[in-house]
Amino acid sequence: MTVRRRLMVAALAAIGVALAGAPRARALDLKRMTLANGAALLVSEQHQLPMVTMELAFDAGSRRDPAGKEGLAALTASCLTLGTKTLSAAQFNQKVDFMGSSAGVSAGRDYATASLTSLGKYEDDTLRLLAQALTEPALRDDEIERKRAERVAAIRAEEEQPGYVAAVTFGKMLYGDAPYGHPAEGYADSVAKLTPDDVRNFYRGQYRMANAVIAVAGDVRAEEIKAKLEKALAPLSGAVAPQPEPPAPSVKPGLHPNLIDRNVAQANVVLGFGGIARSNPDYYRLLVMNYILGGGGFASRLMRVVRSKAGLAYSVGSGFNAGQFPGSFQAVLQTRNQSADEAIRLVLEQLREIQKQPVTDAELASAKKFLIGSFPLKLDRLSGIASFMLQVELYHLGLDYADRYPKLIGEVTRDDVLAVAKQYLHPGAVDLVVVANQHEAAIKAATLEAH
Amino acid sequence: MNSALSPKPNRSACAAALALAVLIVVTGGANAGVTGNVKTARLPNGLTVLVLENHKAPVATFNVFYQVGSRNEQAGKTGLSHLLEHLMFRGTKKLKPEEFSNLIQENGGMDNAFTTEDYTDYFEVINRDHLEVPIALEADRMANFEPKGFDSEKRVVMEERRLRTDDNPEDALDELTHAQAYVEHPYHWPVIGWMHDVAGLTLGDALQYHAVYYSPQNALIVAVGDFDANQVLKQIAGQFGSIGNGPKPPPLTQAEPAQQGERHAVLRHAANLPAFEESFHVPNLKSPDAYALEVASEILSDGKSSRLYKDLVVDQRMVVEVSASYELTSFDPPLFTIAAQARPGVRIEDVIAEIDRQVSALREQPVGAEELQKAKNLEQAEFVFGEDSIFRQAMLLGIYQMLGDYRMLDQYLARIDRVTAGDVQRAAQKYLVGSNRTTGVLVPTGLLPHEAGGGAPGGAVRHAAAMGGAGR
Repeated sequence: MTVRRRLMVAALAAIGVALAGAPRARALDLKRMTLANGAALLVSEQHQLPMVTMELAFDAGSRRDPAGKEGLAALTASCLTLGTKTLSAAQFNQKVDFMGSSAGVSAGRDYATASLTSLGKYEDDTLRLLAQALTEPALRDDEIERKRAERVAAIRAEEEQPGYVAAVTFGKMLYGDAPYGHPAEGYADSVAKLTPDDVRNFYRGQYRMANAVIAVAGDVRAEEIKAKLEKALAPLSGAVAPQPEPPAPSVKPGLHPNLIDRNVAQANVVLGFGGIARSNPDYYRLLVMNYILGGGGFASRLMRVVRSKAGLAYSVGSGFNAGQFPGSFQAVLQTRNQSADEAIRLVLEQLREIQKQPVTDAELASAKKFLIGSFPLKLDRLSGIASFMLQVELYHLGLDYADRYPKLIGEVTRDDVLAVAKQYLHPGAVDLVVVANQHEAAIKAATLEAH
Repeated sequence: MNSALSPKPNRSACAAALALAVLIVVTGGANAGVTGNVKTARLPNGLTVLVLENHKAPVATFNVFYQVGSRNEQAGKTGLSHLLEHLMFRGTKKLKPEEFSNLIQENGGMDNAFTTEDYTDYFEVINRDHLEVPIALEADRMANFEPKGFDSEKRVVMEERRLRTDDNPEDALDELTHAQAYVEHPYHWPVIGWMHDVAGLTLGDALQYHAVYYSPQNALIVAVGDFDANQVLKQIAGQFGSIGNGPKPPPLTQAEPAQQGERHAVLRHAANLPAFEESFHVPNLKSPDAYALEVASEILSDGKSSRLYKDLVVDQRMVVEVSASYELTSFDPPLFTIAAQARPGVRIEDVIAEIDRQVSALREQPVGAEELQKAKNLEQAEFVFGEDSIFRQAMLLGIYQMLGDYRMLDQYLARIDRVTAGDVQRAAQKYLVGSNRTTGVLVPTGLLPHEAGGGAPGGAVRHAAAMGGAGR
């Protein structure tokens, strides 16, 4: 069934539990095991529905793309399900579809993830297919070239979206050639030059079980699924050498504009600077600070000032994109060309404001209540449980993370919020991308030089 | 505005009012289907309530559906349903703008709303311990609607239109094709409304619309989650039971005349890649053909082994994407739509010819037994996966109830299962034909302002090459 033309009021939603008394979270009953080949396996048995969801994360994300081969991780991931030693791509797809299952591999920035969802009765068959794709993919020249052409076309199509162009340009400005400096899918030009050998080499080098993390949620038995995975994925033994952490993006004083001219009605604005890695101990303080600033949907200052009061944008928000390596802080909005200048000034004002004055007690309490109180909503569905388990393992959060989380948020003070705002926000060192009809937008020199 | 829309009725929502004495509770019968455990009630003011316990996670969802969407609008006032949806977050006699969402979020919940051609749904997903909060707040904005900041919210909606449609070539093409396919029926105009109409809407329009359509008799409540159904029914009756009704909404009289011959639309728009869309008038689930059409859409485009994907994406390498869509739960007869975006260097005429070939094949040969079974299996799996979401459960119950009876949901898979290859072929022969077709073609005019004769580049700004996007 397909979705019709629906319109939703924008809400940058987050999740939580009531402060007094820890929120009642779903009984996850997490079990952590280690497979013989070294992979970590986390299982949450959920027997309410006859279905299972599984995610396998490999150290094969786009941060591993060699220079000049941007998009290799993503192309490799998408090629793994193009047939196996014994099945053609068409046969593979036919089998997966016939069961009503989904089975695929895709690469993000930090990891490549193989995912599976199936009815309980097809769990074994679907897992066998996905495991074949991972352990003995055909990776034939013609199929790789076919997929490469498809992905180049898809990137060309994305480039028609002004928001995409703004986001990609921002990443390039902030990180340069560092591992996070390019979009996971790569550039049309770089992907077009990738060869079948590139794909096969990347696959052999990066899809190794000793670094892999597997999360399984659904109608399974932990010991049984462990045995099945151990057997099915045995050929992928060995480890991947860790990638050295790149230097964090430097703070560049001044405001650095990149104004891109397009025939559009709205200016697409991205502005920001370097942020933090997920492992940074200030992560939770920043979560609270950013909720108040621009992460809390209609409860946030940016939404209140730019949307609710000024009516300048449908959506506006901010966030720290924390990963394995230090990521970015970004504020993103769209507004008609003519009001771009005003909207940018309003956002920068809010960044400076939260560095000057402590947030109010009410703001702090409200942020904590939401962040803690909505936590169980993340675990509402099997897919949410599986992603949660992956995060727990990949970012070393601990099996008791769900229990510790209310305290991590609860202990944040107004002084903490002020301190992290001062330390991590840099309204005087901003990369700014505006994709707009620049004649209409007429960004003022004063806006660009005010810092 | 239609004269049937009379002044705001007198109503009140006394939070503590008890309508319990006259609350009628009916528990679903011995029916073993998904809906067997649904409890229903009809309050004396005509408000229908469905509640379903689901104890899989300690969360609950609360939905208020109003049976009003863009199909209830009048020419010249398009977009009013959606603007009203926005205004519902802008305050009541008791609440300040956005206070609604703040209160929900503080209680560990998320809230939102959406408007379709047929209905408007306000929903919260929340920690089960705080379900009384959305119940009280939704009752408040049904009874005590008093929005502030009308002008700025209207500007927000205009920004939303720029974001979703004006700067999105494929959505703009979809809008134009719909307008060409529907001549009389209100599905002619987009849910968000024409920009000029939205700009002219007034606060008075919104208040009057609320008075007529946001009444208990025109609403439906669906709650699903980890709670005691009887207790939640009582809470709902307590909050909503005393809200009075406005005038009866005017009946919908428009009907789309039968299409007599193919129609074409062309959109010149800022883009690099051409796109295509074709739409056929088809019935909704009130016709037995609906299930055959649903299966046809599965066969055409669900999964990587589907006909359109395999042919146009994999084998012919012609398109970036292709999809067939059909929504059988549309309140009035909808469109069966096929849409595609061409790859660089591919002529859109060739894409159209290939889609034609696939649609003809559906008319000319019965689908094979295995392919038919695959489509049914996909439907079945999707249905079970959907049950993992309490929000989706509530949506489906709500939509089927508004179509007549939520229990029809139980028949869905059985009706799909009964579809034969002959049914699919007959449906294709009856509906997916040229004389019933409206095509839309997007002719790209490039992405730079001067390419479309737009304003000259500003002198003071620095131009950077757009990621390979410019100048191709």
